[in-house]
Amino acid sequence: MAVPVTAPAAPTATAAATHRVSPRHFVRLKLRVMVNNFRGQAWRIALYVVGAVFGLWFAGTGFFLFAAPGLAGNDRYALMIAAFGGGLTVLGWLLLPLVFFGVDETLDPARFALLPLPRRTLVTGLLAAALVSVPAVAVLLALSGLVVTAGALGGWSAAVVQVVGVLAGVLLCVAAARAVTSAFAAMLRSRRVRDLAAVLLAVAAALLGPLQIFGLAALRDADWDRLDPMAEVVGWTPFGAPWTAGIDLAEGRVWAAPVKLLITALALVALLAWWSRSLESAMVGAASAGPAPARRGPAGGAVAQLFPRWVGWARRDRFGALVAREARYWWRDARRRANLVTVAVVGLFVPVMVNLGGANLTAGDTQGFAVPDTSSPLLVSLSMVFVGVLASVTLANQFGFDGSAYAAHLVAGVPGQQELRARMAAFSLYVLPMLAVVSVALAVILGRPGWVGVTSGSLLATYGVGLAVNSLVSVLGAYALPETSNPFALNSGAGVAKSFLTLLAMVGTMVAAVPMVVAAALLGDVWHWLALPVGAAYGLGAALLGAYLVGDVLDRRQPELLATVTPRR
Amino acid sequence: MTGEQPALSLRGLAKAFDGKIAVAGVDLDVPAGSFYGLLGPNGAGKTTTLSMAVGLLRPDAGGAWVLGHDVWADPVAAKRLLGVMPDGVRLFDRLSGAELLAYHGLLRGMDPAVVDQRAAELLDVLALGDAGRTLVVDYSAGMKKKIGLACALLHGPRLLVLDEPFEAVDPVSAALIRDILQRYVAGGGTVVFSSHVMEVVERLCSHVAILAAGTIKRVGTLPEVRGDRSLEEVFVEVVGGRTATGEELAWLSR
Repeated sequence: MAVPVTAPAAPTATAAATHRVSPRHFVRLKLRVMVNNFRGQAWRIALYVVGAVFGLWFAGTGFFLFAAPGLAGNDRYALMIAAFGGGLTVLGWLLLPLVFFGVDETLDPARFALLPLPRRTLVTGLLAAALVSVPAVAVLLALSGLVVTAGALGGWSAAVVQVVGVLAGVLLCVAAARAVTSAFAAMLRSRRVRDLAAVLLAVAAALLGPLQIFGLAALRDADWDRLDPMAEVVGWTPFGAPWTAGIDLAEGRVWAAPVKLLITALALVALLAWWSRSLESAMVGAASAGPAPARRGPAGGAVAQLFPRWVGWARRDRFGALVAREARYWWRDARRRANLVTVAVVGLFVPVMVNLGGANLTAGDTQGFAVPDTSSPLLVSLSMVFVGVLASVTLANQFGFDGSAYAAHLVAGVPGQQELRARMAAFSLYVLPMLAVVSVALAVILGRPGWVGVTSGSLLATYGVGLAVNSLVSVLGAYALPETSNPFALNSGAGVAKSFLTLLAMVGTMVAAVPMVVAAALLGDVWHWLALPVGAAYGLGAALLGAYLVGDVLDRRQPELLATVTPRR
Repeated sequence: MTGEQPALSLRGLAKAFDGKIAVAGVDLDVPAGSFYGLLGPNGAGKTTTLSMAVGLLRPDAGGAWVLGHDVWADPVAAKRLLGVMPDGVRLFDRLSGAELLAYHGLLRGMDPAVVDQRAAELLDVLALGDAGRTLVVDYSAGMKKKIGLACALLHGPRLLVLDEPFEAVDPVSAALIRDILQRYVAGGGTVVFSSHVMEVVERLCSHVAILAAGTIKRVGTLPEVRGDRSLEEVFVEVVGGRTATGEELAWLSR
């Protein structure tokens, strides 16, 4: 690479001094690294193009949103849109990189650790390089809409001030993202924090849908006038200051514009100073996270330690050990925990939304079921079937979670039926209480406590059937998960065929649960009493039968299963 | 098979991956009470052979017997006599050392009281007691090997099959592992392990087999295989490596 930053052509101090390293070099280095990454990898280029198109689409939408008050010539909502929209943008740049495990690492600061670069050069250079990215460009384009608004409402002077404001604001966004990730770099590299971040991400992702719908509903009912003072306050914080300076000028508050630009500048300087301070820890953090401290636990025998207190009832034999280990893993393995959290959140919100249905909520896109105005036993049963399917499909690749560790079961010769029954039991320890909460909560929220039998009955039946179906899928259609600390990583290529199998498992579960739905539709009031016992028996029977039949398959396929779940190195 | 039964015997074991032959018919008899070293360069098929011998990988052809029990036809009896430490295979590493031992013990159907007592003893002897509740995933490479060995030893097997037990282990831990294995053999157990470190094999083993390109090239007791040369010379000759003549790379010295 012919870039001075990495060139070995500076053996003496005098030679280094003749070539000043400028931000331009960092930008060129970044572009070169990007291009080299693309070399011969068509799918990477395709992914990048898709990302760019998506970014452009986002930018266009944002542009018109921010330009709307100006285009409409109406200054009623100009300040509000600028303050809230801009503020959310800054907040997003602040938080999203943390949740998504860091930022674009094309230029990892750790790579510059050995180069004799002044801190100031490094910071400005990395900032310049960070600006050359799809998200930064997209945000710049989107918020340029504010310039249109300011210009339309306040003429040229306001537009010019807004241009300065938007540029400073984008700088602020990028600097905020870099400063925060740099400060947390050492922490993010440790497994424990990543595990935690993974779970937070799962919660955030699972909540996104419901929040969106509640947000829309809230928007419809909101009293807009009461938001005005809030927008003004946000406008005076670094979150809103850069975006509202030109609007203020346009609305006649001339003195406010320079003050807000000053606030932005101060915030930017503070962020860069923070970044510069934490860069050092980010640069050395990559070398080693240090050994984990030894934890002293409660005394007691090895066997007593294996069994969590709430699994204490289990017998101290092979079945009990399997249950105890699985129970520990559902909590200790970030991948599994993230799945559990998703099931809990989605499983609670989707049925509530579907059944509250009606005029003010639009849940049509969350699933294919129709949403009538009022709920009925049929609809309740259907939504419970959905939750049951969702919960049980978590086990569709249960052996993939274990990876090559599953070899221990082969060496010990664990019988397949016992293995499957133990796995079902351990997962149910977490899921059954969750399902109980969902079915009771739904009946209460709907104001029909009498429907508890229907909700819990269809839920248990579907869940039990799902356990059986997914056991078979997990034995026949297992695939290896990569051994990384990122719980959302998937082996590329495994995707399509495997999600097809999962889909098949879901459809199979739904079909097997149809009797419960039909009964709910036909039997009327009698079903309110019969649903729970019938559903529970149906579910339990299906799960046991599944474990019995699939256990034989597992016994014959153990070595093959081990081979498929072992990641290739 | 009567009288002195081999602890492990392999007959015609063969395996191909995607048409590429990894192991091409291995016959081997490991006498009971021997300390058996399976030598071979990287990619010779050591791990594949041992995986087929212990029931982790289904062979394309051939069979394996542990003290007369067919590993693939009668796995329960064979696996009861067998302790295994696979290489490159993860343990259930989100458990602490003690939890992992308890898990392995109960999976083997052992009595909980016996598991407790043996686990405490093993952790103590292998100097893993200090790790406390630290999860195995946070262990160092040497500690992971040691806990793996403890898991293989816990149920008191008659045959121990270890894949690369000395790989990535510091000298202190290696000495400890060596010591435990020697005591195990002295007590009547049999050890089969794979390695490409000549010094370890020469120091420990009573029997040696050299595996290259998926077939056994030399087999016998250590003196038989070695003759009057060093094991390393024999190994390099069998495997077909080149020895430096001193002519090339002359520019390295100045």
